[in-house]
Amino acid sequence: MYGGGNVFEATKFDDLQTEDPAKLAEFEARIARGEKIEPTDWMPELYRKQLIRMIEQHAHSEIIGALPEGTWITRAPGFRRKMAQMAKVQDEVGHAQLLYSAAETLGKSREQMLTDLINGKSKYSNVFNYPAFTWADSNIISWLIDAGAIVNQMANAKGSYGPYSRALERICAEEAFHLKYGHDAVVHMATGTPKQREMIQAALNRWWPPIMTFFGPSDKMSTHTETLVRWKVKMATNDECRQQFLDMYVPKIWELGLTVPDPNLKKNMETGQWEYTEPDWDEFKRVINGDGPCNAERLAVRRTAEERGAWVRRALLNPKAKYVKPLA
Amino acid sequence: MSLKSLDPRVTRLNLPEGEVPAMEPKPELDQFETYEAFHQKKEGAAYTYVGPVHAPNEDVAFLFAKEQYSRRFACTGIWIARTENIQLTLYGNDSENVYDMMRVEEPAERSEQPEPYEIFHLKKRGKAHVHAGRVMATSYLEALQEAKQQFGEKGPVVNVWVVRSKDVLQSAEEDKDMWTTIPEKKYREAIAYKVMDKITKYKEENKPTTAQ
Repeated sequence: MYGGGNVFEATKFDDLQTEDPAKLAEFEARIARGEKIEPTDWMPELYRKQLIRMIEQHAHSEIIGALPEGTWITRAPGFRRKMAQMAKVQDEVGHAQLLYSAAETLGKSREQMLTDLINGKSKYSNVFNYPAFTWADSNIISWLIDAGAIVNQMANAKGSYGPYSRALERICAEEAFHLKYGHDAVVHMATGTPKQREMIQAALNRWWPPIMTFFGPSDKMSTHTETLVRWKVKMATNDECRQQFLDMYVPKIWELGLTVPDPNLKKNMETGQWEYTEPDWDEFKRVINGDGPCNAERLAVRRTAEERGAWVRRALLNPKAKYVKPLA
Repeated sequence: MSLKSLDPRVTRLNLPEGEVPAMEPKPELDQFETYEAFHQKKEGAAYTYVGPVHAPNEDVAFLFAKEQYSRRFACTGIWIARTENIQLTLYGNDSENVYDMMRVEEPAERSEQPEPYEIFHLKKRGKAHVHAGRVMATSYLEALQEAKQQFGEKGPVVNVWVVRSKDVLQSAEEDKDMWTTIPEKKYREAIAYKVMDKITKYKEENKPTTAQ
């Protein structure tokens, strides 16, 4: 799941003049040749910081994203759906493990990442600050949020950092089931009884605005962004991802006779671009900064799990253990 | 006031609502040490690096790796090594052979008797390290030199990992049945979802009626 909406803010590392020019040239030449960067390679501080931030956010999104779907496991209609929902949620938590390890190879410890998540210092995908009211909401998440995530992850898998690419390849392979499972669940509701259709349409109406913000606001094309594009950290602009998502999924929504709750949504045949009502970025900012319907609950649930498990981890800890960051 | 959720189980946790004090930073090693996991995709295939796990010891690392790396894909064996016990060469450029770039150094320590070491090669950056074979040596450095003799000639090698065989926890031959999964897990395969059939049927039944 997830992988979208990275807002790359300019940081004080923007100035590359502090970097060794010979090493920087070698690093850039490697990326230009299409070679991947591995953990022990020299890399500019900006590259390291942005990747940590991006991979860490991705990991947090997997673990928090498991919560809204997780609460539906016991209430999923029928044994088979319970099994499938459980398998999917387990996959998402596994993805978080892979991603935390990839971020760790860049020098930030897993302890620090988890502390930053719980204390609100690091972000996760904003869509998970919204509730899943009904089983149909869970279906929309499984299908369309995962679909958005796949668009993003497929792009990022071609990025320049070896450990992140390796993790994403594995993640994308597992996501294939999520997407089909989610689509199947939505199709089942949409082609079912009038009540089922009504439920899935209502869930789509609730989720459409968050989905449209999933890839983040339009990128400001600064030199900073250009640098990240050249270094293959940022593989597609937020708008490119959003357009690709609309191209792939709006027809699939329409073919089920469902409506998208945006009267301005249409494809401009001349430009080939989708036109839509600009999402409410003020709300996006407010929610991502903590004031959403579920922010407090998501972090409180995560924190409780961490705190209640602490004594088990302490009891299991080998006193001679020594931390070495993962190799790849 | 405690936190109210749509999920009654969350409400029952009685979590505090409103401003909560920040959590104390997690102590060092709260998430344990790291291990590297290698899997075998099918009988006879070379063990390949799949990724790290955090665990309190190698047995638990094995269980975590089995969950993480063999749950969704065919697997016939897993090896586990503590990250600390793996030594690695520098990374070469793609299409280079790091064995040709190595300086021959004298090892600081040697074991009295030669012992087996496992050698893993990375053929291309971004790919995974693959088991090249086993050599007998009295130190990591000697193992690396042995590996150069035995496996160093075959094409590009971007990076080499060396680990003493006794530091690798290997799944046993007699435990092979642990990799057999029950066949009734089709629900987690994309292929099990015949979405198009349902859509086609729906479209057939809901064709817009054409004017006579």
